[in-house]
Amino acid sequence: MTSQQFIVASPPTDAISALKFSPDPNSARIVVSSWDKNVYLYDLRDENGQVGEGKLLQKFEHRAPVLDVCFGENENEIYTAGLDWDVRKINLDTSEQTVLSSHEAGVRHVLYSREHNIVISASWDSTLHIHRSDAGSNPDSLPITVPLPSKPFSISATATKLVVAMASRALHIYDLKALALLTAQADTPVSGDNRVEVEPWQRRESSLKFMTRAVACMPDDAGYASSSIEGRVAVEWFDPSPESQARKYAFKCHRQTGEDGVDVVYPVNALAFHPIFGTFASGGGDGVVALWDGISKRRIRQYQKYQHSVSAVAFSASGQHLAIAVSPGFEDGHDEVPEGTVKIYVRELGATEAKGKGAK
Amino acid sequence: MGKKRRGPSLEELLDRPWCYYCERDFDDLKILISHQKAKHFRCDNCNRRLNTAGGLSVHLSQVHKEQLTQVHNALPNRMGVDVEIFGMEGIPADVLKAHQQRVASQFQQAELDRQHATGNPTSGASSGRQPAKKPKLEPVSDLKKRLAEHKAKRAEALAGGSSGDVTPSSAVQSTPTSGVYTQSPQIPAAQPYSYPQPYGGPPAAVTPHFSQTGSPVYSSYSPVGGQQVPGASPYTPSGYPSPYPVGLPAQPPVSYGAPPFHQQQPPPDNRFMGLPAASNLPQRPAFAVPSVNAHEMQKMHMGHVPPTPAASGYSNGDSFQSTEHVSTPVDNQISGAANDMASKTDDINKPKKEKTKPAIRMIYNDDTFSPEEKMAQLPRYAYVPDKSTQTALGEIPGNAIVGAIQDSDTVIDPAH
Repeated sequence: MTSQQFIVASPPTDAISALKFSPDPNSARIVVSSWDKNVYLYDLRDENGQVGEGKLLQKFEHRAPVLDVCFGENENEIYTAGLDWDVRKINLDTSEQTVLSSHEAGVRHVLYSREHNIVISASWDSTLHIHRSDAGSNPDSLPITVPLPSKPFSISATATKLVVAMASRALHIYDLKALALLTAQADTPVSGDNRVEVEPWQRRESSLKFMTRAVACMPDDAGYASSSIEGRVAVEWFDPSPESQARKYAFKCHRQTGEDGVDVVYPVNALAFHPIFGTFASGGGDGVVALWDGISKRRIRQYQKYQHSVSAVAFSASGQHLAIAVSPGFEDGHDEVPEGTVKIYVRELGATEAKGKGAK
Repeated sequence: MGKKRRGPSLEELLDRPWCYYCERDFDDLKILISHQKAKHFRCDNCNRRLNTAGGLSVHLSQVHKEQLTQVHNALPNRMGVDVEIFGMEGIPADVLKAHQQRVASQFQQAELDRQHATGNPTSGASSGRQPAKKPKLEPVSDLKKRLAEHKAKRAEALAGGSSGDVTPSSAVQSTPTSGVYTQSPQIPAAQPYSYPQPYGGPPAAVTPHFSQTGSPVYSSYSPVGGQQVPGASPYTPSGYPSPYPVGLPAQPPVSYGAPPFHQQQPPPDNRFMGLPAASNLPQRPAFAVPSVNAHEMQKMHMGHVPPTPAASGYSNGDSFQSTEHVSTPVDNQISGAANDMASKTDDINKPKKEKTKPAIRMIYNDDTFSPEEKMAQLPRYAYVPDKSTQTALGEIPGNAIVGAIQDSDTVIDPAH
């Protein structure tokens, strides 16, 4: 039942924007993107294969703060997105960087769909760019641009669907297969920017009244969880049938009652589903990470509060580790990031630590 | 009617065990201890419940190699791990004193509030020679709702068919307040008959349910004929919130001599429309309620009205009736009248209800720009894509989106 926690050595020097585990369940590598314009690659295992504080393997400098990073097809390639408006592919073996496409504003998110072998980026220019994974190496492979009604704030994908949470509480669910097909057909540019209007599979309004902060899909492709700046998390299902829709709910979290009795409400910055148990972790501006069972609607546990806002959480592919990125962010009102405040914690989870308890 | 048991006395309150960490109080020391074990001394990692903060600290350092820095779920100034608390033991004297003072002042405040709301004395019996109590308040919205409900019911009953008069006397219970029952117009939908005149009370009206739903509306007008009602006499129709339009917009303001009558007209009951006022006259005496003598009235007035806020009782007749097992329509009427008054004269209690929602302070409160976008606007993160000068379009795209370009002099103009 012991749960050990490590602090990863040589963390970024500025706030962390994203943190991802390697898709390989046997690996303990993580990539971290930061506002200090770098992407960091760590291996949490030491020479003996023990997971510990790990070591920094590589660091890739960008021209501007990096807002997101994700692993590609395997452990050796990553995709990055950032304020330099570019979506890049980085080959970790050769350190070769390729720009896949450029948006017209900062790129907030990038994700790779293994099942469809496409790379999707979401930018504040209110578009998605969808790239084939051979983009960059093959000059014929052009990304398509999917216009969105609003700025995207968070995206997440399952094997078949892409959820895009946007400003104005809009939420689109796309069929990934359709997007992949469109991308495959886009070898010859239709127009200058290859814009393709794609009708989403579903259009929804967010169940939360305030700005969506994060969205994460269930590993079993059944639904997704979304969080807002107003300390609340909603759990919904894809299935449009009334029975499934009736199951959706939202709950309050990441709040504290101050001395004056005023409820202080923190944004829920990060959500991540456990790949095996289907439970999920939420990280809030209050520095708290909690594990939830979305099916039985119960909190499994809440970890001791961290000093600063939690900006990202991620489970390893094996489900044995939970990485938590702590950085003083907007919530704390810090303009400058003091040295030593940005930290990455890695928790080694007990066998059942993130397992749901089942209904009462 | 026995006196309702009031809340606990100050001594009882002060004796209650309470939690040092969160200031919650408990019925029993045992519950307090289990609360502390569950809320404040539980290990996050393995859910083990320790007895004290010190125990948890040792457990954390020995088992999990972690350091306990603060007690969970504690008030901000009580998070320290150095104070050894177990149940009520170990609470510093100054904190204990402050707590007792707080409890005492809260108690007094509650007492004052209650006195203010009910007019009852702070201690001892509530009956006897008390000055007229402060009328209780019923929110206007509740009142309107009740009126609308009542009208709907009446309309339903009236539409169901009509038969001859039912003499009010049949409804009389063995109380001296018989006149009151005759006004209860509530006719159950299941009742096979209904009445051409709305004020003939069916026998069923003596049952608590009907009298409850019907009477409060009428009670507002009891002063028209019943000057004996102590608390109700200052009532004037004008003060009643929007007398005519509520629920019956189509009804012209025909005068029947006694203005409040308009309100009792059910909207679909057109028989009264345009009829000479005389058609209504026979009912009026029944309407002028309290043929009760002042003494009885006062007795009931003092003794029967529950000290709970009236709004809850009246918006839901059933719950009210469950406490007042014997039907006491007069009480209802009196307090109903008092409520009406209260809604006009005394709005002090009103904000209480609105206060239930706790104040909220959001750490991040901008619904159009995400924190990342805000951060991106900071000069130190500003980035100007150099490609913008090379694009065939020749424009400087997205200034508005990046937003930081104009923010600082240090940022290089993309044109150069």
